[in-house]
Amino acid sequence: MMLFGLEWAYPLMILLLPLALLPWFNNNLDKTVAWTALVPHDPLSRTISLSLKVLSSVVIASLLLAVASPAIPERTVQRFGEGAEIVLLLDRSRSMDDAFAVTTQAANYAVAGDNSKRRVARTYLTEFVKKRPDDRFGFVFFSTNSINLLPLTYSKEAILNTIEANSLGKGLSDTNLADALMNSAIMFEDQPYRGARIVLLVSDGGQLMTDEAMELITQRYKEMNLSIYWIYLKARQGMTLEPSENDNILYTDLPERKVHEFFKTIGVPYRAFEAGSLEEFAQAMDEIDEQQYQTLIVEELVPHEPKADWFLWLALLAMLPLASSHLYSYWGVRKAHE
Amino acid sequence: MSLSYPKRIFLTALVMLLGLLMIMAALWLPPIDREVEVMDSLFIIDITDSMNVEDVRFGNKNINRLDWAKEYTRQAILSMPCGSHVGLGIFSEARSLILMTPVEVCANYHDLMQMLSQFHPTMAWARSSEVSKALYTAIRQAKEISPQPTVVFLTDGHEAPPVHETLFPKFTDTPGEVPGVIVGIGGSDLVPIPKTNEFGEIEGYWGINEVMHRDVYASSRGDSAELNENRPRTEHLSSQKKSHMETVSKRVGFEFISSPTSAQNLIREMQKISVTRQQPVKYDLFVWLASIALILLVLVFLPYSLFTKQHD
Repeated sequence: MMLFGLEWAYPLMILLLPLALLPWFNNNLDKTVAWTALVPHDPLSRTISLSLKVLSSVVIASLLLAVASPAIPERTVQRFGEGAEIVLLLDRSRSMDDAFAVTTQAANYAVAGDNSKRRVARTYLTEFVKKRPDDRFGFVFFSTNSINLLPLTYSKEAILNTIEANSLGKGLSDTNLADALMNSAIMFEDQPYRGARIVLLVSDGGQLMTDEAMELITQRYKEMNLSIYWIYLKARQGMTLEPSENDNILYTDLPERKVHEFFKTIGVPYRAFEAGSLEEFAQAMDEIDEQQYQTLIVEELVPHEPKADWFLWLALLAMLPLASSHLYSYWGVRKAHE
Repeated sequence: MSLSYPKRIFLTALVMLLGLLMIMAALWLPPIDREVEVMDSLFIIDITDSMNVEDVRFGNKNINRLDWAKEYTRQAILSMPCGSHVGLGIFSEARSLILMTPVEVCANYHDLMQMLSQFHPTMAWARSSEVSKALYTAIRQAKEISPQPTVVFLTDGHEAPPVHETLFPKFTDTPGEVPGVIVGIGGSDLVPIPKTNEFGEIEGYWGINEVMHRDVYASSRGDSAELNENRPRTEHLSSQKKSHMETVSKRVGFEFISSPTSAQNLIREMQKISVTRQQPVKYDLFVWLASIALILLVLVFLPYSLFTKQHD
């Protein structure tokens, strides 16, 4: 329950506060005196006895409030950090189940286990996410219809476990790149601009997109100021995204080249990393890591903070003189009765 | 008051000293470790078309099976102690797809809910609904996750295309190796299944001639008498297939609960079969110590004279 801006675990204890008045309504410690006129009029003792009553009330009240267990509720604070907001777009197609960076023909057709492209991507992305404390990550589910599975979050556990889950099981038969790219942009919609915004695509191929889709994507990406990073997991060692002079004739019309061409024409910052080996993949991740340290507004969730200690300290401070005065009177009474 | 004055002074001083010590202990005694039992679980939710049927009672209105499954998952997560881990997945076609491996429920509650809210029939990558095969894949993938979670499979049990009793997909793993619960959803009356278009909007219903009514593979088997038997063709309609789910759950060594009314039903079943872990939680004793100090102090100041007769 919220009260006075604090969250109370046992708010009913507050109803017991009138107990703090008890010291004013009893004379347990009064000494029976035959004739009160005999007692000298002593302003100092009057002040002392009054302040002892005040102290007793303070102790009871603050103990009650401490037992009620107040806490500052969970809240978000904003601070400036360094990093970026990154949407991960991991290809989930069947081909990602194939082994990564193989050199022999036979391995090309073998069922890949731990060295499948999807698992390799998992390993490096996990490392990447762990290295970047301030980044906010989102995850797009890449299927026939893509879905913004995990909207931008600061929780490293949530994003890491989503990446982990993505490496389980088999790939999907049908994926739609244009839809996934559109959805990545939607992830940033209605979000205040906090800092660099990146769409990080990890895939082993491209797809032809309709002119209409490309137009929409161009418009959106420009509007929302997104950067694109593409880690292209090469299937064939010789193939490059940029056409070269001694190109294999088969490469010229590959969809990945078309996608690369398209990304270049959007007019937003774009970089492609062609990874043909584990080293190249790691290098690409490191390069992105180094580049993306701009100022970013980070929202941090401060967990609920118990504040019963305030009242315990107050109780202690009042209790110290109170207890000592009582010990002193005990000592005095004993001396008098010796 | 029957106590003599020196005795009263002595007792008061003693109580004050004890109270002081209690307050100091409340402030400085370090929190002690207490163990709570937590478990890891993986919720797999059926997102096939039959889950769009609105035949589940929720409060005083009927909601569709998928919405109920999501709400039930939310409530189950809420009733788990902090330290428990929950993962999420969906099932469509003939396989389960795990979307998030188990995460701690309190710290990641918001993200779990965000993901859960995204589960829609549009995520389906194919239009069939092979419950038992999907369950097998869920079990197989659960084995790859460590610590191994308890599988919670929320479905109406509708197999499309239908499976003939003798041609049941084989379960090759050890039953019960991965513990789990099947939660049956849906009413008991056969109702039409809404059909969704690519945007997830409902567009009419599945017609009698649009779905298969027999196991395709049964037709290649010899028993033509059985095949040509005049049976009602009802596979375009859906209800909760309780007996089928019971059979399937026995085969894989799962528990089966049908239309549970509270999240506690599920949690109890899970606790029976799950491998639970002891999670140490820090427990601060200050509430107890401060309470003792409080009681002591109140005892000093209680107006005893109101209850007892003065003797002197």
